[in-house]
Amino acid sequence: MLNAETIRLKNGRAWQVYGGGSGPALFWLHGINGIPAGDPVLAALERKHRIVAPVAPGFNDLAELDELGNIHELTLDYDDLLDHLGLEGIAIVGHSFGAMIAAEIAAHFPRRAKQLVLLAPVGLWNEAYPGRDVFAEPFTEVESFLWHDKAAREALQARRSNEAGPDDLAERIVAVAQSLTAVTKFVWPIPDRGLRKRLPRVSAKTLALFGAEDNFISPRYAEDFARGLRGLQTAVIKGAGHMLPYERTDEVVGLIERFLAA
Amino acid sequence: MKFHWFHLMPYPELPEDFKESHRSVWVDVPSSLFDPKVGHRAYNEYLDELEYAESVGFDGICVNEHHQNAYGLMPSPNLIAAALARRTSRAKLVVMGNSVALYDPPTRVAEEMAMLDCLSGGRLVAGFPVGTPMDTVYAYGKSPATLRDKYYEGVKLVLRAWAEPEPFAFNGKYTQLRYVNVWPRPIQKPHPPVWIPGGGSVETWDWCVDNDFLYANLSYFGYIAGQKVNDGFWATVDKKGKDRNPYRCGFLQFIACAENDAEAERLYSGPASYFYSRCLHVYPGFGNPPGYTSIPTMRAGIEGMIARATRRQDVENLTWKEMISRGYIVAGSPDSIVQQLETLANNMHVGHLMVLCQYGNMSKEVTMYNTTRFAKEVIPKLRNKFSEYEDKWWPTGTLEHMAEPAPLTALA
Repeated sequence: MLNAETIRLKNGRAWQVYGGGSGPALFWLHGINGIPAGDPVLAALERKHRIVAPVAPGFNDLAELDELGNIHELTLDYDDLLDHLGLEGIAIVGHSFGAMIAAEIAAHFPRRAKQLVLLAPVGLWNEAYPGRDVFAEPFTEVESFLWHDKAAREALQARRSNEAGPDDLAERIVAVAQSLTAVTKFVWPIPDRGLRKRLPRVSAKTLALFGAEDNFISPRYAEDFARGLRGLQTAVIKGAGHMLPYERTDEVVGLIERFLAA
Repeated sequence: MKFHWFHLMPYPELPEDFKESHRSVWVDVPSSLFDPKVGHRAYNEYLDELEYAESVGFDGICVNEHHQNAYGLMPSPNLIAAALARRTSRAKLVVMGNSVALYDPPTRVAEEMAMLDCLSGGRLVAGFPVGTPMDTVYAYGKSPATLRDKYYEGVKLVLRAWAEPEPFAFNGKYTQLRYVNVWPRPIQKPHPPVWIPGGGSVETWDWCVDNDFLYANLSYFGYIAGQKVNDGFWATVDKKGKDRNPYRCGFLQFIACAENDAEAERLYSGPASYFYSRCLHVYPGFGNPPGYTSIPTMRAGIEGMIARATRRQDVENLTWKEMISRGYIVAGSPDSIVQQLETLANNMHVGHLMVLCQYGNMSKEVTMYNTTRFAKEVIPKLRNKFSEYEDKWWPTGTLEHMAEPAPLTALA
């Protein structure tokens, strides 16, 4: 069972951090959808790990972004949090935009991550398969093309309503808009902030998973990440779109657990 | 009241099946649709029309800025204004671009507008729009999360660059310049009047009222739908204790002036339908990028946003009757138009009326007819409205004796 707490750093920054489970520390960096109420992926991962899952700057309050001008300042912000929590040489797992941050942390501060898992990672750009522009779709449509598996999407929605009360369309649209706003600050107009140049700095053992049906981040990006990360392990999850950990939770969690245990 | 003749400069030959065969008139509309020979004719006819508007008595002629857009062929309004400066001498040049956040450094805007003010003898009105999402974040790749902040900083820099007599250093969040020193300087002191086009965001009302900038409500949906936005603006004026001078505010209205209703429909319904069905055919995904609208503004308009998804279909299939009954277009005989505009001016409390007498694929001949009848038979009847107020948002210091282009034969 995950609990949220607010952690205040010496520099005055307040982070909302979800935590639960026991075992080796697993630093989870959520994707575009944030951390949904009753998050089934974290619920599965906490069986074998102590989850530390911060809410990305801007997702709760856009004012948090005022002082974060670029990807480096964002990465430093996370480093401050990891310092405060005394986390080093841990497993860092990120999804989507969170995977971009995970890779940046591991590249900026290689000692932080012993193992790194990237799920449908944003952060590289290949004009041969740019993918759909998630930032040029009506907010009401965004979710529908991030997901490939409709049934999984509805199941998560039901779970969310169960935990957090009935779904309010207007509030959900505002939430999507706010989340995307927090992300755009660091990836607009093309999600390439030089990660390609920094990837060789990463010393962590790395696994990257892609959704076969992801039309935002093509599975072909596996090759681009492999070029920068020596010994990268990759797998493509069949029947999954960009929301792969939520679409194929058992399979993805199984792969993550096996990789981290090795 | 003052009257300004506004040109959007649409591309006049979009194919009949444009909305079926293309997803958007803006951003990713293929440039293969653009025939430069048509462009040559259109630009020259459009300049004729703007210049003609001066000759029949309009106070201002207006141009604006759009990018990657088939209904607005003015990526650089300054080029058009420069051409107008040479062939006009009385009308004020209302440049409703430049989107300051698009230019690095923004002092480029200060330079070009100062050139225009010199060239025109002090006739420039300086418009500073934030810019639509299509222009700014998609065509010009600016981050919607920082666009507005960058815009505020840029406008402050431009105004300061015009006003300060000595070079200064500027250490901004988005622009750093060791030497700001704009040559030439504008004729108008401390600077040309500032007009801000807006579409209803709360932040822009505050900003205009705090700085005493003119607020121009540039809607394509007429005075009935535009009322809410003006109400919001005037409520902000009241809240901040400023005077309700109607010249604080401008509004844009489509006009269809003719002998009677039947002739108006015959002459203008085609071009109007070209405008609403082809020129406004914008892919909805480009309309509201994340971060462009603040969360409070968004929350206030969320139902409208959900409704807009369905409105697109609605707007693109409007009949002439609907365009009229909704007030999108003010049409009819001159007397009927006077009446409607009287209502508009009273309800919206607008001292600066910008009119679109050309829209869609309207021919030059029809445009001139619309313009002439409006100027001769409508403007005189409304001219004295609001004469009890002083217009503090209009160029001052315009030169009395202006240089004229020398006749070319004199050089022989």
